[in-house]
Order: sequence, then structure tokens, then C-alpha cells
Amino acid sequence: MEYVIEMLHITKKFPGIVANDDITIQLKKGEIHALLGENGAGKSTLMSVLFGLYQPEEGTIKVKGQEVKIKGPLDANALGIGMVHQHFKLVHNFTVLQNIVLGMETVEKGLLKMDDARKKVMELSKRYNLFIDPDARIEDITVGMQQRVEILKMLYRDNEIMIFDEPTAVLTPQEIDELMAIMKNLTAEGKSILFITHKLNEIKAVADRCSVLRRGKYIGTIDVASVSKDEMSEMMVGRKVNLTVEKSEAKPGDVVLEVNHISVDARQEGHTKKLVSDVSFQVRRGEIVCIAGIDGNGQTELVQAITGLRHISSGTIQMNGEDVTKRSIRYKNTHGLSHIPEDRHRHGLVLDYNLGYNAVLQQYFQPEFQSHGFLKNDRIYEYANKLISNFDIRSGEGASTITRSMSGGNQQKVIVAREISREHDLLLAVQPTRGLDVGAIEYIHKELVKQRDSGSAILMVSLELDEVMNLSDRILVIFEGRIVAQLDPKQVTVQELGLYMAGSKKEGGADETKE
Amino acid sequence: MKPKNKKNYVGALSSVFAIVIGLLVGLVVLLLCNPSQAFPGFATILTGALTHGMKGVGQVFYYATPIILTGLSVGFAFKTGVFNIGTPGQFLAGGFGAVFVGIMWDKLGAVHWVVALLAAVVMGALWGLVPGILKAYFNVNVVISCIMMNYIGLFSVNWIVKSYKPLFNTMRNESKNVAVTAQIPKMGLDKVFPGSSVNGGILIAILVVILIYILLNKTTFGYELKAVGYSPDAGKYAGINEKRNIIASMLIAGAIAGLGGGLLYLAGTGKHIEIKDVLGSEGFTGISVALLGLSHPMGVLFAGIFIAYLTAGGFYLQLFEFSTEIIDIIVAVIIYFSAFALIVRTFIGKINEKKQTKDGGMDT
Amino acid sequence: MSIVYFIFQQTMLFTIPLMIVALGGMFSERSGIVNIALEGIMIMGAFVSILFLNLTGGKLSGQLQLLLAIVISMVTGAVFSLTHAYAAINMKADQTISGTALNMFAPAFAIFVARVIQGVQQIQFNNTFRIQSVPVLGKIPILGPLLFQNTYITTYVGIVILLLSTLVLYKTRFGLRLRACGEHPQAADAAGINVYRMQYAGVIISGALGGLGGLVFVVPTSTNFNADVAGYGFLAIAVLIFGQWKPMKILGASLFFGLMKTIAAAYSGIPFLAALGIPSYLYKMIPYIATMVVLMFTSKNSQAPRASGVPYDKGQR
Repeated sequence: MEYVIEMLHITKKFPGIVANDDITIQLKKGEIHALLGENGAGKSTLMSVLFGLYQPEEGTIKVKGQEVKIKGPLDANALGIGMVHQHFKLVHNFTVLQNIVLGMETVEKGLLKMDDARKKVMELSKRYNLFIDPDARIEDITVGMQQRVEILKMLYRDNEIMIFDEPTAVLTPQEIDELMAIMKNLTAEGKSILFITHKLNEIKAVADRCSVLRRGKYIGTIDVASVSKDEMSEMMVGRKVNLTVEKSEAKPGDVVLEVNHISVDARQEGHTKKLVSDVSFQVRRGEIVCIAGIDGNGQTELVQAITGLRHISSGTIQMNGEDVTKRSIRYKNTHGLSHIPEDRHRHGLVLDYNLGYNAVLQQYFQPEFQSHGFLKNDRIYEYANKLISNFDIRSGEGASTITRSMSGGNQQKVIVAREISREHDLLLAVQPTRGLDVGAIEYIHKELVKQRDSGSAILMVSLELDEVMNLSDRILVIFEGRIVAQLDPKQVTVQELGLYMAGSKKEGGADETKE
Repeated sequence: MKPKNKKNYVGALSSVFAIVIGLLVGLVVLLLCNPSQAFPGFATILTGALTHGMKGVGQVFYYATPIILTGLSVGFAFKTGVFNIGTPGQFLAGGFGAVFVGIMWDKLGAVHWVVALLAAVVMGALWGLVPGILKAYFNVNVVISCIMMNYIGLFSVNWIVKSYKPLFNTMRNESKNVAVTAQIPKMGLDKVFPGSSVNGGILIAILVVILIYILLNKTTFGYELKAVGYSPDAGKYAGINEKRNIIASMLIAGAIAGLGGGLLYLAGTGKHIEIKDVLGSEGFTGISVALLGLSHPMGVLFAGIFIAYLTAGGFYLQLFEFSTEIIDIIVAVIIYFSAFALIVRTFIGKINEKKQTKDGGMDT
Repeated sequence: MSIVYFIFQQTMLFTIPLMIVALGGMFSERSGIVNIALEGIMIMGAFVSILFLNLTGGKLSGQLQLLLAIVISMVTGAVFSLTHAYAAINMKADQTISGTALNMFAPAFAIFVARVIQGVQQIQFNNTFRIQSVPVLGKIPILGPLLFQNTYITTYVGIVILLLSTLVLYKTRFGLRLRACGEHPQAADAAGINVYRMQYAGVIISGALGGLGGLVFVVPTSTNFNADVAGYGFLAIAVLIFGQWKPMKILGASLFFGLMKTIAAAYSGIPFLAALGIPSYLYKMIPYIATMVVLMFTSKNSQAPRASGVPYDKGQR
């Protein structure tokens, strides 16, 4: 069998970490080849190497048997390699057609000649069942449609090899099904597909073969048909790493947070879209409630609505029995709310402030740290040093380290330390372990449980099924802005949870395919 | 434990780098124009300000006074995340306030100059306030509204001065002299720098520099202003009122620039508001001063004195038949390269970052 | 009727340079680079081309001389703008700071060099460029006096530039790519477009048009150049925003500003306005006040190119 792409013994190092360690992947013509691995396993790095965005330290790449050097997207494209990026590369105020031809335009007498392009696009669209409106503007069409545009872009460029980087993360179940059909269609027409994912169901559904990466290392390549999901799962995570957190039974106490019928609307170019619709729930002292869902289903907006970072369209929020719907962020901060934000760089830290100043980001105005409007710098650094030693935060120059210069794990520790150490009744933790290494993850999980046991109410948002299953006492599944299920982690399997998250199962037997 | 500020050290180094390149470009221009006079001319730029000893030093302080304040205005706003290119308008509005009070309210006696300066502060603050409010409530780009306010200030001041008889000197097409009581007292500086135009204004400017330094670095208010300046999103997360911040920031920046205008037109050195459709240079020079001083109050103080020093030296260039604009050329080149210097700084920052990642967790 | 013709002709003299410079700014911003240096670029373009007029006065026929000056002003502006492009694109410098430096440099340079060459800073030139009446076309009733009498060749150049700009921006490959770079450079890069090259092109066009705008501003309104274009570069930025980065709207905004300028300069000669007794300063201020008011209502959802002013870094994905 002929290989269209061979990546042989690829090694790519970054300071302090080997992202790809001697990885070999071979893609056959006409197959869908899945690349399976957890977050941080090295999948994206490997694809970036193939796309010419990184140069590997060791190893060779062959296309149709010929050794090649790929220095950038242009080279990759010339070799027939195309990619649908996780974040689409589309110009929001261009039409579908303009986005497809961009970079490959046909001209006549110096002027754009869109007629030929339109014809070709319409032909491709028909042939591959990729129906689109060529004159719609990108900002006006759905995410699923946008993905079709990305696929058409590759087809328009006659790419033979297509990389899909986590293409289902932002799609609804129906759209996922459609995508799977499209992918099969593409291979039937002779295209070869590399499919990056960490979702086993999808691999089972479409892939022919699957290569597994774990922490930068190549584990093996298997025939999907002959290997069970459990076996694949074990290859992905290794010998059942015990990430289970030891925790006792939750003893829920008083209600701390009560969310009643809140909705968040977003206005985009005339039409209104509901990002969060009519969500209600409670969080009690001494329990960890987890909001589970696929990225982009409204969890970010929901949390921002609770903290006050985003405007609420309707509904009320109560903390400790008090209506805080209209209260300022500052008020909530000083009345029992702690918040580990989703984006530590954007919200969590003032990156150009040093560690000390970041440690008091919501407390600098408290009598402890100021008098008559003047900062008590000595007290601030004293406090920061206490956090540094209590939470084992590593930084170059202690409390006076500029946080921008710290590693991601330690930056996150600063935020966690700050939010946990503040007096609080409610802790909102949004993807608290994103992008961290195993050691840091374990540490943060333990801290969250400790907080629960000392009487905090904890509302966590996570995209990682394992984290959800291990940590939470109660699971709320969010789908398209709605809470579609409340589950007990002890009574539900990961598979079931996955079905709820994908919207294909709903509590109370609501109809399954409501658009 | 006190935080050491490594960044400023690197920043200062990059300023020196920009200054050296600026001066070199100046030398090259002189060489191209007239090789035989170039070196004496260049020497004059560097030392001309000291030609007349203490009198010369006094002149340097006199020139430095307004541009330290406009520089401080720009630098302060920069620290809070705003580019205040509205200093020319705020400066003029402040100058007008001072001149108005200085001419009209001549019965105030000993406090006359103080009241006139306060009027300058209020007028400048008002001119800064408008872009601040427009940004906070209507999201109008501050740079654009500041430019608009500059011209609105220019034309309205000209309009009022020209049409209001008591203010207007028809013969010279400029504002009349302010009352003697409105002139800034010498505060003993005439004894130290005999024969120069310097007055207490420089002391007031230094005082304001110190106040702003304390405000920015020692107070909770400064903590908030800078936090929002560095990262508006993190500021919002921390519960800081963004709208109030931007308004306060522009208000203060305008007040400082307005004070600068007041000090210039109350100096009693023959400076008047001239009726012409061109904005004064002091405001724009403030941008250079702020950039060169890395927006740090103390840096601004030294940068203001440095540019005043070059300007004072530049006057003597005419002896060699070079025009004084060479100084502006040099300053422009310095600013241009100081924009590069930001890159030098982030570059060094990145090296530090890489060193750090080795001993910490991974971030993908 | 002659009053209307007069106002219209005067308005064109103010409108055309504003429009040319604003269109220049449009190309730069549409590529993702903020060009606040337009004022300085105008001064440089005007300075070099008017120096050319001064040195060749009497040696060349009027219109040919002006055409050559047009080319020179554009080349000068383009070359000068390269410094901004280098700082903004290669060095990822703060675009406002770099632009401010250029704005400071230009007048100082113009005065300095003028003094070195001819001793005084004003550069005189003979205005032999006014066209009393275009042959044939000038005789058309109504349209003739409006468009083809008492005019300058630069007016027609401006109109051609407007049409060309619209065509280039919306109908050519270059325009499509340029706009992509200003909105989403990562997308353009992924499509194989050299973002840096497109941004250089955008800035250079803005330089060429800025330089030309300087010349076009000075020639009809004066007979000497004093290193100053009266804030027209800044006003052009206002026009650009007022015109929402779109060529035809920029024309509209320029006409409005031009009309206000005309009224401010000439209202005493217009019986109707003279009778109103509104001082000229108010007319001078109106464009600026109007810009602020318009911005108040349009800034919440601005049409500005999304990536404008953000240095593009290939390394970031």
C-alpha cells in the first residue's frame, strides 16, 4: 500500500519539554486516519510540523515517497496538504465565495473574475454534498456552515490530504453527523484525511486506522475495526493513571448560590442570539457542582453572567439569600465570591504587575493593605510571600517577579492561591486545570476538595470528562445554552455523560432533535 | 522586601540608545549641509545651553517647565492605557484660562497668580474630560477625539480672544499682557540664575511630578489606574470601575497640561496667545518628552530638561548658519527609535520567560 | 448663480486634497496599519514637489510642470512612508508613536532644508496652473461652470484616484487580499498571502496619496509653502472615520468638510451667510464638532478594520 504522507521519527523540543518524541505516522491514500491523544499529548505540535509552522529537530517527512522540507503553509499547500484549523481562518465580513477564493483568485485584465470560481465552487459543493450560499457573509452563517466553507477552501485548492484539527469541538450533534458523512464522502473521492480528536465515538464512527500519542510519545497504530473503545482509551491514557481524587461523601449545607431563570443574549448584526437561555440551579455549601458541556455551549457566558463580567438579559442571581443580580463585580467580590477565571492571561492576572500586586488584585483597597488611600507595600509583599510558601509558587524573584515572565502553571497557581485564600463562600472555578501538567492538576484538584470540605460552595466548569467525573458531587450538563440534565456522577457512566453533553440525550424525554 | 524594577533599567538603556542614534543622525545632517561647520555646530548642540553659565541653566529650566508638564500629562495617561494626543488643546485651553483671569480679575492681589493657575488647571481638565467621557460612554477613539478637541480649542480660544476687547491687543494680533500680580513669582530663583527667565514655575512643575509619582506608585487609586492601563479585562475582573477610571485619567492628564499652559503664559516673559490657526508646539513636544522618559514621572522630568537643554543649545546654532529645526529633527529621530526600543524590551522579556519555563509547568 | 459656482469651485479645492489623503489612509488601515503620520507625509510631499516647482519655474510649461510635480510628490510620500512601514511591520513598533515621530520630523526637515537651500523657509512658486475653462467642456451650460471652469488638473486627478480606489479595493485581487489582511491577517496568511508585503503596499499607497494630497492642498490656495498643511492630515483621518473606511462615503465626508471650510474662508463674500453674522471661527470648528458627534453615534459598532493597529506576528497562531 502506498503512503501519501509519512512522518518518520519526528522529534520536536520546546524549552523544558519534548513535545514530540520520535513519532512516526503514515497516512494511506483514501483512508481516514485518526490521531488520538489527550490534551497536551503532542497532536497539535505534530500537525504544526506537518504544516510547516514548526521545524522538527529530528526526523523526515515524505510525501508520496519523496522526502520534502515544509517551511510554511505555502509549501504544505503546494504539496496538496490542507488544514481545517480549530479556530477557523475566515474573514468575517467577506462572503463565502470570497473566503474560498482568497489567495487563489482568478483575474482577467486585472479585475477579479468570480464567475469561474463560483462555477467551480458550486460544482464542488454539489459533488461533496456541501451545500452553501456563496453570497452569504461569514458572520451571518452558523459554525457548521463555516466549517463547510473551510472544507470547500481545501477542495478548491485541490488538496489531496486534509487535516481536521478537533473539528467537532464546536459542532452540534447533527452537525457532527453531517461532518462524518462528508468526511466519508471525501475519502470515497480519493482524498486522505488526518483527523485529530480525543473522542473515541467519532473515531469508531469514521476512522480506518488510529495512531495514539501520549505525553509526546508514539504509542502505536491500530485498525479501528478490530480494537475496542476500552482498549483505545487505555492506550490514550496509559495504564489507568489514578487521577481519581480521594474525597469523602459531600455534606451539602445551606444554599450559597441560587440562579433563577437567567438568560444572556448577544446581538450580532441585527439578529439576537441566546447564548444562555433560562438557566436555573443552586449550589450549596460543601459540594462541588460541575457544569459539563462541549466548548461553546454557553458555559463561559453563564459564568461571566454570574460574576458580572457580562450583562444578563433576564433572571436573578442570589448569593447567601441576597439578590445580587444588579450588584457590581466589586460588591460580589467582597461578599463571598471567588473566581478562578477561564482565561488567566486576559482576566486572571495583570501580567505587567508583579506577583505581589497580583496577589491583592481584589483586596488592595481593604484596610489590611491600604490606609487613607496609600498602599501598604510591605504588607502586600508579606502577604504574597505567605501565598508563595503556602502554595509552592515558583518564580524568579519571589513577590517582585513580573507575572508575565512566569510559567503557565505557576501563573495559575498564583490565581488559585489568591482566590482560595480570600474569604469566600462561593468559588467559581472555570477550567482550573487547562493546559497544566499532571502534577499541577493533581494539586489543584486536591485544593478544590479541601475547600469543599471546609465549607465552600464550589461551581466548576470543565470540558474534561474525567475531571467532571472525578471531582464533582453533582453534574449539570449544559447544551446550547440550556441545562439539559442534572446527574449524579456515581450513577452515570462517562458514555452516558457524553451523550448528554452532545445533546443526544435529554432528561425528561424531551424530543431529541429540537433545533 | 522591595521590588526591584528590572524593566525600567532596560528601558532607560533603550532610551539612551535612541538618544545616541538621534544625535548621530543630527551630526550626519549637519555634515551633509556644511562639513566645515558641522563639528563646531554639533558641539554647540551638546554644550550651547551652558554658554552663559548659570543664566543658561536658568533658561533651560524656563524652557523645560511647560514641556515637563505636557510630557507628564502624556506619560501619566500612557501609564493608564490612554494615548493623550490632546495636550496641545489642553495646554492652550489652560493658557487661556490663566490669561483670562490674569487680565480680568486684577483686584485679587497676592493670590491672583494662584487663582489664574487654578483657572488653567480647570480649563485643561475640562478639555481632557470631553474625550474621557466620550470614550467611557460612547467608546469613541481617544486619539481621534483628542485631535478634534485640539482644533476646537484652537478656534474657540482664538475666537474669544479676538472678539473680546479687554483681552485683545489689536496692534500685535495677540492677547494683552496679564496683570503683574498674575505673574508667577520668582521664588528666589532669580538670585540663583541671574538674568534668566526662569521663575517658580519649574518648582511647581517638579512638585507636580512628585505628586503624580506618588499617586501612581503609592496609592490605591494609582494601583487601579495602572491595572486598567495594563489590562482592561483584568481590571474589570478585579471589580475596578473602568468608566470612572478613564474619565479620571483624562481629567488629570488635561489638568496637568492645562497647568503647563498657565505657567507659560503667566511667566511674564512676553509670551502671549497669538491669533493664528496653528497649534502651539509645547503640547506635541510633550509626547516626545513622555516617550523619551518612558512615561515614568521622574523619567519625564529628566527628558523634559534634556530636550529643553538641546533646544537652548539649538539657539546658538544660528551662529553657524544652521537653523534650529535640527533639534526637532533629532528629537523626531529619537522618538522614532524609542518606538523600536519597546521591541528591545519585550525581546529581553522573552529571554527571561524562556529561562523561567524550564523550572515550571508546561503551558500549551 | 455665480455664487453657487464660486462656492462649488472653492469647495472642490478643499475637498479634493482631503479626499485624496483620506483615501490614502484608507489603504493603510484596510491593510491593518494605522497611519497617523498623514500630516507629516503631506508636508514632505508638498515640500519636495513645491521645491521642484520653485526650481523649475518658467522653464517648463504650466500643466507639464504640475504633472511632474504630482509624480514627485507621490514618490516622496511613498518613500517617506517606508519608515513608518518598517517600524510598524518589521519592528512591530507602536504605530501611533512611529506616526507621531514622522509628524514631528517632516516640518522640521522641510524648514531646515529650505533654509539650507535658499536661506528662507518659505518656498515661493508661480501659480500658472489654473485652468480658466477646459476647452469644449467648459462651455456646457451649468456643468461647465461647475466642473470645468476655474479648476485645476489636480481636481481631475483626485476624481480619477477616487474611481481607481473603489475599483482596486472591491474589484481586484489586490484589494481583496488587502482587505483580508486588515480584518483577519491569520486567515490571509493561511491562504498563502504574504501579509507583510500587503501591509507594505497599503502603507506605501497611503504615502503616495498623502504626498500628493500635500501638493494638491497647497497649489490652489497659496503661492508659497511654509512647511505646514494646516492640520489637513489630521482632518483626513477624521474624514476617513467619518467615511467609515469606504471610498464613496469618504467622498461624502470630504465634501461636507470642504463645504464648511469654504464657508469659513469665504462667508463674507456670500450675501446670505454674511447676513447671518455667524463668525468664521464657528464654521472652522463645525467639521471637528460634527466628527465628534458622528463618532458618538457610530463608535459602538464601528466598521473599522478589525486588525487595524495590531502588529501582525506570524509566530502567533
